[in-house]
Amino acid sequence: MLVSKNKGTNSLLKSEKKSLFRFLALYMSMVIFTISLLSLYYYQSQEKLVLSDKRAILTKYAYIQTKRLKVLHHFFDERVEYPRDPRFRSAIYDIEHIKIFSLLENDNIRFQEEIYFTEGYIHLVKMLDDFYLGTKYLIIEVEDTGAWRAEIWKNILGYGFLAFMFFMIFGLYLAKLFLKPMRDSILLLDRFIKDTTHELNTPLSAILANIEMMDTNVMVEKNKTKLNRINIAAKTVSILYKDLTYLTLEQEKENHDEVIDVRELIYDRAEYFSILAQSKQLECKLELEEASIIIDRRKFTRIIDNLISNAIKYNKRHGTVSIELNQGMLAISDTGIGLNEESIPYIFDRYIRFNNAEGGFGVGLSIVKKIVDEYGLSIEVESEEGHGTRMVLRW
Amino acid sequence: MVKVILISIVLVSGVYSEDAYERYCVDCHKELPTSLQRMFMHYLLVYGGEKNVKAGLKHYLKYPIREISVMSDLFIDNYGIKKKTTLSDKQIDEALNSYWERFKVIDKLK
Repeated sequence: MLVSKNKGTNSLLKSEKKSLFRFLALYMSMVIFTISLLSLYYYQSQEKLVLSDKRAILTKYAYIQTKRLKVLHHFFDERVEYPRDPRFRSAIYDIEHIKIFSLLENDNIRFQEEIYFTEGYIHLVKMLDDFYLGTKYLIIEVEDTGAWRAEIWKNILGYGFLAFMFFMIFGLYLAKLFLKPMRDSILLLDRFIKDTTHELNTPLSAILANIEMMDTNVMVEKNKTKLNRINIAAKTVSILYKDLTYLTLEQEKENHDEVIDVRELIYDRAEYFSILAQSKQLECKLELEEASIIIDRRKFTRIIDNLISNAIKYNKRHGTVSIELNQGMLAISDTGIGLNEESIPYIFDRYIRFNNAEGGFGVGLSIVKKIVDEYGLSIEVESEEGHGTRMVLRW
Repeated sequence: MVKVILISIVLVSGVYSEDAYERYCVDCHKELPTSLQRMFMHYLLVYGGEKNVKAGLKHYLKYPIREISVMSDLFIDNYGIKKKTTLSDKQIDEALNSYWERFKVIDKLK
C-alpha cells in the first residue's frame, strides 16, 4: 500500500489552525473594510473631479441662457417662445420653487446643491440675481454618459484586488511570525523527547526481561504482589516509550504492509494489558468476530495499544472495558470519566491532555490519528462526561 | 319708470361685470405712458415669485414712497409718486389676484 508520510511537526495542530484562521478572518475583515473605505473615498473624489470638469461648461451655458432670459423678459408678451439650445436643456423656477417653464428630461431638482448627478443626467442649479421672468433658479441639464464610472470601477476592482492580495500575503507572513514561538516550543519538546527516549531503552528492556525471567512459583505471595506492581509500572512506561519512539524515530521507517488477523492481535494485546486492567479491577468484555486489515503491524499495534491503554487508564475502578470487533469496525469503550463536547475536536492534538490525574505526554491519540490519516481509515469519538468514551475505528 | 329701472340695471350690471383690477386700477393708469403689463414685469424682475410680488405691490399701494418704487427716476420725476390707496385690504388683495392672473408668466411660455 502506498501511503504518504509527513513529519508531525511540519503540519499544523488543530489549535494552531484555529488561531491562524481566527487571525486571518479578523485581518481579512479589516483589510476588506479598509479597501472598501478607500474605494468609497476614491469614487467620491473622482465623482467630484468629473463634476468640477463639467461645472465650467455648464456655467457657460447658464450664462448664455441668462442673457436670453433677459431679452425675453424685456420683450415679453410680444415674444413667448422659451429660448432653446441643442447643447443643453434648461428649466426656470421662481423663488418659491414653482416651475415657470421646463425642458428637462428629469424634473427631480435639488435646489440646495450647485451641481449633481441625477439618473443619467447632470444638473447645474444657477441662482439669478435679477429675476428675469420671475426666475430665481435656472437649471441646466446635460446627459451623463457614465463612461467615467466604468473607468472608476475598473480601477477600484483592479487595484483593490492587487491591494487585497498584497495584504493577504503580508497577513500570512505576520501569522507565521506570531505562530513561530509556539512552533519553536513544540520542536524543543520533540528534540527533548527524542534525546531522552534513547536513554530509556536499555534500562526498560532490562526490567521487562528480568520480570519475565523471574520464577514466581518460588516467591511468597507478598513478593508476587510487589513483582506484579513492578510489572504494571514497567508496562506503562513501555507503552509510553513505544509511543515516544514511534513519534520521534519509527514513523520515518518504511511501511511493511501485510494482512493482519485483527482478532488474534487484539487477544494478544488484551492479554498484555490484562495486568493493568486487573490493577483497577476492570471487567473486560470481548465480542470479537473474524476480521482482517492490510496495514503495517507495528503501526496497527500502536493504534490498538493506545486505544486499549486509554480505556484502562481513564476508567473508573470496577468499571468495564468493552471491545467489539467485526469486519471493517473496531469499537473500544470504557465507563470512565468521559469528555465534554468542547474538548472532543482537540483530543487528537499532540501534547493536549484533558486529565492531569493520569500520567502521560498527550501523544498517544495524536499517533493514532496520524496512522489513521496515513492509511485513510476513520475514527469516531463518542463521549459523555461522567459516563465514558467509545472510540470506533473503521476501515 | 320701467325704462329708468332697466337702464339702472344695465349700468349696475356693467360695473359689476368688471373684475377688481379693472374697477380699481385701469382708470388711473390710462393716463400713464407705461402699461400695467410693463409695470408687472418690473415688479417680477425685482420681487420674483407670486407671494413676493403681491406683498411688494400691496405695501407700495399702502405706503407709496420714491425709495421703494420699482419705476425709474425719470418716470417718477415726470409723473410723481401715486397717492396712498383708499382701498380696503380685501379690495387690494382681490385686485392683486386679478392682476397676477392676468399678467403672470407661468403657462404663457411656449
